Amino acid sequence: MERQIINKKKRVFSLEPNKNPSAVFTRKYTRHLVPALKKLNMNKNSSQTNQQTVKHEVDMALALSAQEFAWSRFLLQKLSSSKNPTTTTSSSSNRIRILERSGKEGGDEDGEIEKKLKELQKLLPGGEEMSVEEMLSEIGNYIKCLELQTIALKSIVQETT
Amino acid sequence: MDVSVLDRLKWLQQQQMVSPDFLQILGSDGREELKRVESYLGNNNDHELQSFRHFPEFGPDYDTIDGCISRTSSFQMESVKNNEDNRAIALQNKRKPEGKTEKREKKKIKAEDETESSMKDKSNMSNTETSLEIQKPDYIHVRARRGEATDRHSLAERARREKISKKMKCLQDIVPGCNKVTGKAGMLDEIINYVQSLQQQVEFLSMKLSVINPELESQIDELSAKQFQAYFTSLPEAVSKQSMMADFRSFPLHQQGSLDYSVINSYQTTKDETSSSWENQSQCLYNSLRTDSVSNFFSLK
Repeated sequence: MERQIINKKKRVFSLEPNKNPSAVFTRKYTRHLVPALKKLNMNKNSSQTNQQTVKHEVDMALALSAQEFAWSRFLLQKLSSSKNPTTTTSSSSNRIRILERSGKEGGDEDGEIEKKLKELQKLLPGGEEMSVEEMLSEIGNYIKCLELQTIALKSIVQETT
Repeated sequence: MDVSVLDRLKWLQQQQMVSPDFLQILGSDGREELKRVESYLGNNNDHELQSFRHFPEFGPDYDTIDGCISRTSSFQMESVKNNEDNRAIALQNKRKPEGKTEKREKKKIKAEDETESSMKDKSNMSNTETSLEIQKPDYIHVRARRGEATDRHSLAERARREKISKKMKCLQDIVPGCNKVTGKAGMLDEIINYVQSLQQQVEFLSMKLSVINPELESQIDELSAKQFQAYFTSLPEAVSKQSMMADFRSFPLHQQGSLDYSVINSYQTTKDETSSSWENQSQCLYNSLRTDSVSNFFSLK
């Protein structure tokens, strides 16, 4: 029976670990996060899990699974220095500010672009210490890692509900 | 002319820093010797070049090859120099073969004038530093269009701007919705909004996770392949994999995550295996998520 199924769908599977960067990242991420969450559960049996500690674990998992990038080093520094990390998301007021600025096209264009680059630098962990060119390349892989992180988190959440 | 061969030798040597011994051999006729040089160039003869590091500054007297070599071999960065006369000569040489459609200028350095210049051009240096990806010094070829300024600083700025726009184009592929917006400012807006929304999503999900976390441990043991994949139904391959996954048995796992595609057995109950099967699920699903832009960015430095 199994042989029939195998013959119908002929696929080649490799036993090597997948080197696709998205898969590598997700693998590392889940490997870091899931045990960390379990540990949190075990340590705080009675008290409720603090949202900040969970966020801390989430960010830590992100930083640990993307260690080839510069921003992850900065993120790790931030996390290890403070137990209560500053939230990485900028407030919604920032968003509104940007939209307003883009409305007025007057003034020097280059100055606006400079401002926006600085905003972007603030979003990236360690972005302010990098040059603009470096920051732009780091932003690309930071975005990808964030996307993969959200997918992983969504699936974890969905599994447990 | 004899000069051309010499030029080429010096250029080669600049590029790849041959030791002086070889170039002395290449004195008269370098054609055959060039091949020897090129074969030699595989090594990084740093230990030989060390001796040249303390060479003093050169005056305009130095015309010999030795001076040229030691100059370039000691400092990689400073091998790139620019001279006004140099460019003028280059321009004159270029204008004859090229048509008179556009004024063109290249920032390429000719070796013969290099020894004459003792000044280091810092703007050039910074340029080459940014453009250095490998150990070999690299030239920046910047085309100056008709009517544009051709002095060093604006050239350097233009090169820098082109780099930034290149990276912006790469970012366009990554950030969805960037294609419709034109111009740097709009694209930057989109990128900022996207990053902010991603970060907010992560925060929201982690908040959700913290709420349901106490139940996490019990739930994780009941992970099944189908449930996990149902989330990824946007990927067409994932749907077809569902039926396959249920039929196969999982392979024995030596290490966590060491297997690329080991199908999850929904009847597994041990904690270790479920946690590793979790990772394996994500692995085989991400096989289909390969995109060029992703690999680009993960290899970018």
